[in-house]
Parts: sequence; C-alpha cells; structure tokens
Amino acid sequence: MTRYIIRRLLQFIPVILISTLIVYALVFAIPGDPIRALAGDRPMSDAVRETLREQYNLDDPFLIQYFKYIWGIVTALDFGSTFNGRPVTDIIQQRLPVTATLALVTLVIQTLMGIIAGILAALYRDRFFDRFVQVSTVAMVALPTLVIGFLLQLIFGLNLGWFPIAGVNNGVSSYILPALTMAAVSTGILARLVRSELLDSLKSDYVRTATAKGMKRSRVITRHGLRNSLIPAVTFIGADLASMLGGSIIVETIFNLPGLGQQVFASIQGQEGTVVVGIVTLFVLFFVVINLIVDLLYGLLDPRIRYE
Amino acid sequence: MHVNKTSRRSRATGALAVTAAAALVLSACGGGDNGGDNGEAAEGVEGGGTVSAYNCEPQFLVPANSTEVCGSWVLGSLFTGLTQTDFDTYEPTAGVAESWDTEDNVTWTFTLGEDWTFHDGEAITAQTFVDTYNWAVDPDNAQQSANFFDNFLGYQEVVDGDAEEMEGVRALDEYTLEIELTEPFSPLPDMLTYTAFYPMPAVAYEDIEAFEQAPVGNGRYQMDGEWERDQQIAVNRYEDWAGENPGLPERIEWRIYSDVDTAYLDVQAGNLDILDAAPANRRTTVEADFGENAQDFDTSSFTYLGFPLYQEEFQDVDVRHALSMAIDRELIIDNIFDGAQTPAENIIPPDLIEGNENTCEFCQYDPEAAAELYEEAGGPDELTVYFNSGASHEDWVEAVANQWRDNLGIEDITFESLEFAQYLGLHDEQEITGPYRLGWTLSYPSAQYAMEPIYTTGVSSNYADYSSEEFDDLIGQANAETDPDAAAELYTDAEAILLEDMPVIPMWFTNFQVVHSDRIDGESIFMDQATFTRLEQVVVTEE
Repeated sequence: MTRYIIRRLLQFIPVILISTLIVYALVFAIPGDPIRALAGDRPMSDAVRETLREQYNLDDPFLIQYFKYIWGIVTALDFGSTFNGRPVTDIIQQRLPVTATLALVTLVIQTLMGIIAGILAALYRDRFFDRFVQVSTVAMVALPTLVIGFLLQLIFGLNLGWFPIAGVNNGVSSYILPALTMAAVSTGILARLVRSELLDSLKSDYVRTATAKGMKRSRVITRHGLRNSLIPAVTFIGADLASMLGGSIIVETIFNLPGLGQQVFASIQGQEGTVVVGIVTLFVLFFVVINLIVDLLYGLLDPRIRYE
Repeated sequence: MHVNKTSRRSRATGALAVTAAAALVLSACGGGDNGGDNGEAAEGVEGGGTVSAYNCEPQFLVPANSTEVCGSWVLGSLFTGLTQTDFDTYEPTAGVAESWDTEDNVTWTFTLGEDWTFHDGEAITAQTFVDTYNWAVDPDNAQQSANFFDNFLGYQEVVDGDAEEMEGVRALDEYTLEIELTEPFSPLPDMLTYTAFYPMPAVAYEDIEAFEQAPVGNGRYQMDGEWERDQQIAVNRYEDWAGENPGLPERIEWRIYSDVDTAYLDVQAGNLDILDAAPANRRTTVEADFGENAQDFDTSSFTYLGFPLYQEEFQDVDVRHALSMAIDRELIIDNIFDGAQTPAENIIPPDLIEGNENTCEFCQYDPEAAAELYEEAGGPDELTVYFNSGASHEDWVEAVANQWRDNLGIEDITFESLEFAQYLGLHDEQEITGPYRLGWTLSYPSAQYAMEPIYTTGVSSNYADYSSEEFDDLIGQANAETDPDAAAELYTDAEAILLEDMPVIPMWFTNFQVVHSDRIDGESIFMDQATFTRLEQVVVTEE
C-alpha cells in the first residue's frame, strides 16, 4: 500500500512537467502582443513597451521563456506575475479559498441530493417519486449552466430575496446559488447512477441471502445493497470534483465570485502565460491527487481490491 | 479611457442632451436647490450618505499608468490635477492651479493654490508636479501614459536616457510652475485634466507597490482601507479638499463585478446603487425594470470604419464616399442597437465647444448616388471587413456588409474577426486589406484630441495611414492659436477636411444608460463625455 502510494506520487512529476509545458505552449501560441493590447486603442510609447516586454521575457523564444519560468520556480519559488505586477502566488492565495469553498459546497449538495434521490427512486421504483426523479434529472442535465444560473438568480435572488445575487460578502449563503448551479448536472447524473446501481444490487444473490437470513431491511439496503453500488458513484464524484474547477469558470463569472476560474478566463484573454500555467498546474495537481484518493477509496468499499 | 477593447460599457436609448444634464449638475453642486422636492435632497449642499457603484477591476491605480476606464474612474475621485473640467461648458477650470497664463502657447505659467495637501498631510507645491512628471516619463518606471508628455521640452532626452529630468517643467517658486513645450499647444489646460497628470506624494516613490494598494492622493475622496482586489474599493470624503465644489456623498464604494448582468440584477434588487452602463442585452427591458431610475447620456465614445489607405483600392476618395453613403446608420442603430447610438456626422463630438452639428455631406444615406459613384470609380468587387472579436461587433458589421452588398452590388464580402492584441498587430504591420472597425474616446475634452492623435501624418494611432498637408497645417495653426474662438474655427476647418477626405467612415457616438436604485436622486446623475459618471455629484435621498 505505501509502495503503491509512493509510486503514484512519483508519477506526478512528469505529469506536472508535461502539462505546464503544454499549457505554456498554448498560451505562447496565441497571436498578438499582449503588452500592446494592455493600453487599448491608444499605443504606448516604444520605450515603455520595450521595458515591459523585457520585464516579462516576451522577446525570448518559446523554450527559453519556458525555461526561465521553470528556473524561477525551482530557484526562487517565483511563479511569475500578471502584467500589472501581481505575483501569481498572491493571486492563488487570495482566490483559492473562494474556489475551494464553492467546490466543497457543491460537493456536499450534489452528493447528498444525488445519492438520497437515487436511493429513494430505487426503493420506490416506478412510483411517483421515481418518475419525478427520472424527469427532473433529465431537465437538470439538459439545461445549460448559464440558464440555470440566471434562473436561480432571478427567482431566489431577485424575486424571493433569499440569497445574495452575487459576490462573497454574505458567508456561506453567498455560495448556495452558485453551488446549486454547479451541482445541477452532476446531481442529475449521480441520482440516475445510484438508482440503477442500487436496483441491480438489490436483485443480486447476496442481497437475497441477507434478506432470507432475516436481516432488517434497512441493514440489507445500507450494508449490502448500497455499499456495493457506491463504487461507480465514488468514481463519478471524484472525477467530477476534479473537473469542477473547469465549471467554476462560468459559475464564478455569473455570480461574481473572485475565484480561480474567473482569473483563468481573464488571464487567457490577456495572454498572461505564467498566470494561466500557475493556476492550471494547480488544477492538474488537484486532479491527480483526487484520482489517487478515489483509487484508495475503492479498497475501503470493496475489500477484494488490493494495491500492489 | 481610449476605447473599449472589450466594450465594457454598452449604451442606451434616446438622446438626452448633455447640456440639460450639465445644467442639473450645476444646480446640484452649486447650491441647495437641486430641484428635488424631498427634504433630504434639498440639503444637497452638504450631501452625505454612501453611494455604491458598479466597476470593473482596475488594471493599475497609479495615475500615469492607468489607461482604462475602471482605474481612471477611481483615480478621478482620489486625485485633482492642475486643472479640472467644467462639465457645463467642457472648458478647463481651476484645479490645484488657480490660474494660468501663456503668451505663445509654448511657455505656460501656472499659479498654484496655497492650501492644497495630500491625504497624508503633505503640502502640494510646484515641486510636487516637477517630481511627479519626471517620475512618470522615466523609462525605468514604464508608465503606460508616459507619451502624453511627449510635447514637453526635454521629454525625448529623458526617454533616451540623456537627461534625468525634463527641461520643460520648472518650479519658479513654491507656488509657480512653468511648463515649456516643444511647440505651441493651445489645449494644454484641457490635457492637464487627464489622469496621467495628477500629482503624486513623496510616499509614492518610496514604495510604488504599496502606494498602488491604497493611493494617497489630493482629490475629493481618500481611500478607506486598501484596494480589495476583485471585490471593492471604498473611499471617504476628504474634508480638507481645497477645491470649490467638494463631493456630495460622504462615501463611495466601487463594487467590482466580473459580469455586468449580475450587477444589473443587483441594482434591481437594491443591493447596488449605480450601474453606469446597462448591458446591451437588457436594452429592451430597462424601461420595464427601472422606469424613471434610468438616464441616458451622449458621450464622446466614437465608433468608425477606417480605410487602409496603404491599399491601392481605397485610395480613390469616391470609393470611400460611396461606401459611406451606402450605409443607413439610422436603420442599423434602430434594428441592432434599439435606437441607442447617435449617428456620427462629425469627427469632433458635437457636445464639445468646438463641436458642430451635421457637418458630414457624405454621411447621408443615398443608395442610388452611392451605387453610381462606386460603379464609376471602379470600387473593388470583393471586400474583407475587419473587427476585434468578443466585443459584440459581429451584428452591426454584418449589417453594414449586407447594405454594401445590396446597395453597391459587392458580392463577395468576408469577415476577419481577431483578438484585440492580434488585431492591433495586423494594423502595425499594415496587413489590413479592407475596412476595419476601431473606436476612440476622448481622454480630455478637446477637438485636438479627437483628431491629432489619429489623423496627423505619421502618428502611431494613424492606422489608416492618412496624410494631408493641409490638415496637418490646420491642426498646427489651431494648436498655436491663442484666441480660443479662432482656434475652434481652425479645428472645425480641419474636421471638414477629414469629412471630405474620409480616411474613416464616422458611424456613431455611443450613448450610455445609467440605471440606479431608489436611494439615489436620478436628477443628480451625470455622465461626462469621457464616459465617467460623476459620483461626487450624486445626491443620496435615503440612507
């Protein structure tokens, strides 16, 4: 088990290196001079432009730029800065808590709602609640995030006034609407996933045996049925959590949450390579760590799985 | 300011004349009578209360480095330059300088008021401006607006590293500042109202990064706390401000939004007081959503279609006239902008002192004459139209292309839509092959600034590569003219040449629609030509 974890951790290094290289190359490939665009239609003087281009190594060829970037990280923990001089580390420090809170609230909402709805739908199969879950989840999966976001803002923010429309100044309640928006698709998928898995396992031999032994129905469902049907659900939640940072780009923009997603979008537009690479690398790191955790969770859920 | 690279603001409906709005402003800041019948508003002399306003995240909060609206708006409340703009007449009026004098438009003497201080108590003298201006042009400081000083004597030497200080900026005594230029420049007092010319305190040079977090200025308002990145900038009224008409609200909070639609909902819900640019897609619902809580303002924000005159097919002036006359601006404005732009029939914004109404013969829609002219001149039968992407230009550019297709029989029209950085790059390389969209917003209210930076021979923003000796001469004469009326006439003559030669097709001046909450007296809201809502004049009617 320990050896397995160490081996997985070592694999992170090439993954991170390659992903930074690719992302850096993509930003580098965007045509046009970002310093030129900084001042808008009115051009800045050549002297100023040259000073800034030199400061951000923009005149170097791609590999030299990339090497200087990596060298700065390795030797001085310097992750670069935006074109208005803010260090990337500052930005991440300021914005990570926002995105993390958003992801956490989303995770709680989608896990609770998705699993509970899935279980109830399976237990009351073909009854009203089951039909309701089936139909409503299709709608949740099908509606675009943008539409869901604006609907929630309009209904719960503007008309009912239950939650703030935007910003992060109201504690956790600021995150409810954005989290609901972000959770919508996954809740729908998760509910359907849990429902079908649970239906399958309730039909299986070991459940019939447990019931035949006279075990209480609640215990049969939780210990035997549910536990076995959760493996796909955990895989899904893990993958979803890891990709949540992507969804945060839209949601953070609609709800004006100053998180990492918003920044990535702005920095891609402004061709701030180091910022994009810094944040995306963080996303990648997060993704591989979550995957590792998911793999380890399999062992807990299914004792037959062993790690070599 | 200069032009929306991502049109941060869209615009509005109707054409409430700025003069009318300016009159209201005068009464709002001049005395107690602001026309409001409500008790609180009648006490408008003292003003009070807190105003919250939508803003985008500033790039920079150092005056000489700020080139966009988000930062310049905030800086405008934190700083006062040598001169300020009188928004009633768009003439320069006293700022830190009480008066100024020149005999030849080259050497200017400014007499400073003696009781001006920065928010940290530092006294402001002529030397303050000498230090600030020299710092701003020093290439080591890489200030984006440094080239605003390029007609100051000694600017080039400092940029080239041959001198430490500009020869042309001198403190004659404690409160007398002399500015010497390389050539006559009558709009200097106008130009000095611009953000790049605000004074900076000594603390700024010690640690410019710390300064930027909480700029110490000399304006009507001072920072309360630091610039909370992507969230808020709050300022309180500076009670020792030495000017004539202090700010009315006690406190201004700029709330920073990433999405303007969200801000719109927040104003509707009463969580935010002022949104200075209702988004384009809300245009049709503003009246239903806000009723009387919405005001329209004309601005100097100018949109045009330029011609790459370095391409042979656009060198014939008849081709340019025909293309202009084949555009039905009113139809496009009605259908695509819901009536909310003012068709441009001029280059100088009509609300400026030098501005004129309807001066453009070839801006009148006349499809028959256009077709005939185009045919005779042998205009190109295929066109590529250029614009920058992501700023909602697609619809109207396509509408223009359709009119050209229908009216002039140009069959083959393609579009080239590029990211702004790449777009400017193509211009620099002179690789544009057809009409292109660009815009221009006046940083300071002067006819000179509406023309000289874009149309004079060889200047860097002259993307059309236009060159007219006669035009250059007229601008030079106007800049040298000491009598304002005579100067205005010369600028008008220069404008007439542009409208005749038509290096660009004037399309429209943008209107902005400001929406506000019930807490604000709508009559006190005023947006100036540079698209800044004057928050210092806003009257808060309830707490």
